[in-house]
Amino acid sequence: MLGYSPVYKKLITVTLFLFSVLIVSVMLGLTIGSSGNFADAWKVVLGQGQDATLEVIIWQLRWPRVVLAATVGATLSLGGLVFQALLRNPLAEPYILGISGGSAVGAILGILAGFSLFPGLTLSSFVGSLMVLSLVLLLSNRREGHSDSLLLAGVMVNAFCGAIIMFLISVSKTVQMQKIIFWLMGDLSAVGTDSLPLLLGVLPCFLVIFLLAQPLNLLLTGRESASAMGVNVAAVTLVLLLTASLMVSLTVCHSGLIGFVGLTIPHILRLALGSDHRILIPACVLTGASYLILCDLLARSLPSQGEMSVGIVTALVGAPLFIGLLWRSRQ
Amino acid sequence: MKKSLFLLFFSFLLVAPAHSRELIDQIGRKVVFEEPLTRVVSLAPSLTETTYEVGGGAILVGATRFATFPEAAARLPKVGTYVALDVEKIVSLRPQLCLAIRDGNPKASVERLESLGIPVYVFDPKSLEDVVDTVSRLGDIYRTETTSSALASSYYQRLNRVAQQLEGVKERPRVFFQIDAQPIISAGGNTFLNQLLVRSGSVNLAADRTGYPRYSWEELLGLMPDVVLLASMGGGYSDQELRDRWEAWPQIPAVNNHRLYVVDADLFDRPSPRLIDALEHLVGLLHPKLTGVQ
Repeated sequence: MLGYSPVYKKLITVTLFLFSVLIVSVMLGLTIGSSGNFADAWKVVLGQGQDATLEVIIWQLRWPRVVLAATVGATLSLGGLVFQALLRNPLAEPYILGISGGSAVGAILGILAGFSLFPGLTLSSFVGSLMVLSLVLLLSNRREGHSDSLLLAGVMVNAFCGAIIMFLISVSKTVQMQKIIFWLMGDLSAVGTDSLPLLLGVLPCFLVIFLLAQPLNLLLTGRESASAMGVNVAAVTLVLLLTASLMVSLTVCHSGLIGFVGLTIPHILRLALGSDHRILIPACVLTGASYLILCDLLARSLPSQGEMSVGIVTALVGAPLFIGLLWRSRQ
Repeated sequence: MKKSLFLLFFSFLLVAPAHSRELIDQIGRKVVFEEPLTRVVSLAPSLTETTYEVGGGAILVGATRFATFPEAAARLPKVGTYVALDVEKIVSLRPQLCLAIRDGNPKASVERLESLGIPVYVFDPKSLEDVVDTVSRLGDIYRTETTSSALASSYYQRLNRVAQQLEGVKERPRVFFQIDAQPIISAGGNTFLNQLLVRSGSVNLAADRTGYPRYSWEELLGLMPDVVLLASMGGGYSDQELRDRWEAWPQIPAVNNHRLYVVDADLFDRPSPRLIDALEHLVGLLHPKLTGVQ
């Protein structure tokens, strides 16, 4: 699957480098917080801590949060990469396409119906994302040839999902419902150790996508030529769309809607590494993970009192990038 | 494995030479904490305020951001806001006990604290009697029962006196309580404010709704309140501006009869014993003919 040795070498180098970046991000995520100082926290992380309270803070409060941020960041940026390749649209991304919004609506309906986290809530959230995906694809196919119609359809579906979310939360009396801001701007603060098994769900998704890297490369050259090279276009497309939607919906219940990660990371990586998906896929996972850990670090340390939603940080970075890309594609 | 090890370490830290005490909190759960109490974090402004009142202020080591009353409370380390607690900060203060409110503090944060081995005593005041009960319970926790029981009985006396005064009064003015001015928000039938209004001898015009409903001017003209109470600072307006917005509608009886009153928002917005001051103040405004009321 990995092909010739130059690619293999590049893959190893890039992966090792980005993995070390991830390690540094995780260390920063663990050592910086609203209490204690950096040096003491560092000792605890290295296993030489004397302070039992700080150990609890780092391993039971910050660690789950860092792991969740990494998982969500990896999922969203990989999701962006897959949608951009499959839909051949550089601006496609789970949030912008409304896939995340659809999952959130599904998740909220699941909560209202009293489903448990697994499998009920995961399933209802997955169904929500699939419905949005089919709707967006259907809408954009009706107006052939223009990539803007896909984005327009996504933006409208997204706005609609946002309205449904606000409506459902406003009329519901369910106490366990998160606040509107959680769903619309994303928030990683509610995480406990019980959210971590979701990792088990996204890792196989990452693997499936990585195994389909070469067909994805061929698909980018065009459907006919990919088909001529022996790729079962319909099957590969379907598997990738389903896998990407599944992993996005797995994370949405835990993080709310975090936008633009799937736009920012793949674009930066394509600029730096070229367009070979055999390298881009692991790179997206590692960089997306580091990126959201650092964004969450900013979200919890920038405000002088309390915290802000991590979605504010990712949108502040991502939305201008989106506008820039749109500008460039017009010229 | 790792988790239980940490818990063990952590509880070790708390155990020291002390002995443990077991109490039942206001929602009927068992809470076990170590005595003597020297480190308590209050997760609600009302509990912070009441703690100082019953003489437990000295052992508070943390409070929420808007716990500004009394002045000493404002100087305590801040553990986030009442509705968005900073769990990490709370844990770092190593409290022996946390005090929480059921319908305000996020459930997930409270459960998290308990899972980390920090006992949380939960209050759930639903009536003025519960507020007085909170005084007694805090006195019990801090072992300042002499102060707290004296306070509690004086509060009960004041509540009884209000009830007696209103016994012979037939008139029940129809009141609209404006909590916020932009948009106009009132207090529905399941709120503390509704209880205050009922106990001060009036009819709350928003009682048929729940929570904190919004009102349009069209609805307000339909309601025709006899008295309008305006919480100060609503929408950031001055007292005069708050009144002016109503003065534009002279057909409303409250406007026509000059029964628009601005009341101190601070008195009404938290379930602390100051609500009894608020109650007496309301009786004075709503039933001016009664004598002997502040």
